[in-house]
Amino acid sequence: MMSSTIEMKNVSKRFHHKAVLSGLDWAVPAGHVVGLVGRNGAGKSTLLQCALGLWTADDGSVAILGEDPAALSDAVRAQIGYVPQESDLFEWLTATQMLAYFRTFYPRWNQAKVDALMERWSIPANTAIRLLSGGERQRLSIVRALAHDPSLLVLDEPVASLDPAGRRDFLREIVDRAIEGTTTVVFSTHIFTDLERVAMDIALLKNGRIALSGPLDQLSEKMRRVEGPSAVLAHARWGQELARSATRDAQTMLIVIVDEGSEERLETLARQGVRVHAVGLEDWFIAATQ
Amino acid sequence: MNIVRASSTSLFTVTTGSSEPIYRQLVGQVQRLVAGGQLAAGDELPSVREVAEQLAVNPMTVSKAYGLLEMGGVLERRRGLGMVVAESHDKRRPLAERLEILRPTLERAAEETAQLEIDPDVALQQFRKMLKGKT
Repeated sequence: MMSSTIEMKNVSKRFHHKAVLSGLDWAVPAGHVVGLVGRNGAGKSTLLQCALGLWTADDGSVAILGEDPAALSDAVRAQIGYVPQESDLFEWLTATQMLAYFRTFYPRWNQAKVDALMERWSIPANTAIRLLSGGERQRLSIVRALAHDPSLLVLDEPVASLDPAGRRDFLREIVDRAIEGTTTVVFSTHIFTDLERVAMDIALLKNGRIALSGPLDQLSEKMRRVEGPSAVLAHARWGQELARSATRDAQTMLIVIVDEGSEERLETLARQGVRVHAVGLEDWFIAATQ
Repeated sequence: MNIVRASSTSLFTVTTGSSEPIYRQLVGQVQRLVAGGQLAAGDELPSVREVAEQLAVNPMTVSKAYGLLEMGGVLERRRGLGMVVAESHDKRRPLAERLEILRPTLERAAEETAQLEIDPDVALQQFRKMLKGKT
């Protein structure tokens, strides 16, 4: 299937005159696992909430599984799983009671999956949710989102309160879905090692737009940090320049995505005292969002 | 600045936080194991699903690595068996060839040793210790 699961065109969203999204275009291909990154306050939650119809965009168009998010049919609604950043569970119920309640809303409900995850992730089933730890609530929120076997899973920083073992369990769950190839997964995160493991695509939200998106492997292979005398680098141009900063002693540092012809030019520059390094994802992110 | 975390299975290890994509790490590991004779012609590799689940990495990453190894003639796709080491790799590669594979890693280590101004003898002593600890 080549169609897009989420398609946003020229989307803008303002809160109290503060533009959070401005003219944003984004398409999430069906069956992909996409990592959404951006600084704190960049608008990642707003973007996901606009895609899901929890906010209405001020401008532009949004389609989710081919429908307008403001008027979703029950059939499409039942195909979406969402884990919000802030847990919105019913505090006074137990996990078992809450899951039984949600079950009534969905035509499809994978109780075997729910039981297996509750057991594997050691979530207390018969304790009031308000008494659970942050990590237990987050895991429960993920179980709830997976229970109806959604074809689109949207997760807003799903692992923020999970320890490394809990994160690994969660990633395995994503991997299982990727193996089946039937679920599209979009998750926002600050944890690049997780992205590297499970994301096929990455999307960077910056200044209200998707500043960069594409297959993670391709991007990380073409990403370079270029350092050298400002005089030499002043007019140097590459496929795509993501960041440029002047450092001490008239030196310039660039983060670039090289294209076909770049390698040759870089070799020429190397003879003029320019150094070129491969960049890890996290270093790239810090440089590109400054 | 890099965060390095490694996890291993019986066959593969991946390191996140490096500038080397995971699929290339997997390709390199299979190439080395085959060159060293630890994986020999006809040996079956774990399925994409197994590797993906064990390492918690996207299955596409694993199949990309296997695909490249197949194109490079290191692996062959066998009906019903999955991926096996290609027939031509029936014995360990000659020492000179294996050293050539190791060379870029040693070059990097040499460069970093010089940057850190560590005495070569001290660095070598450390390296020797590591080699003995592992074998």
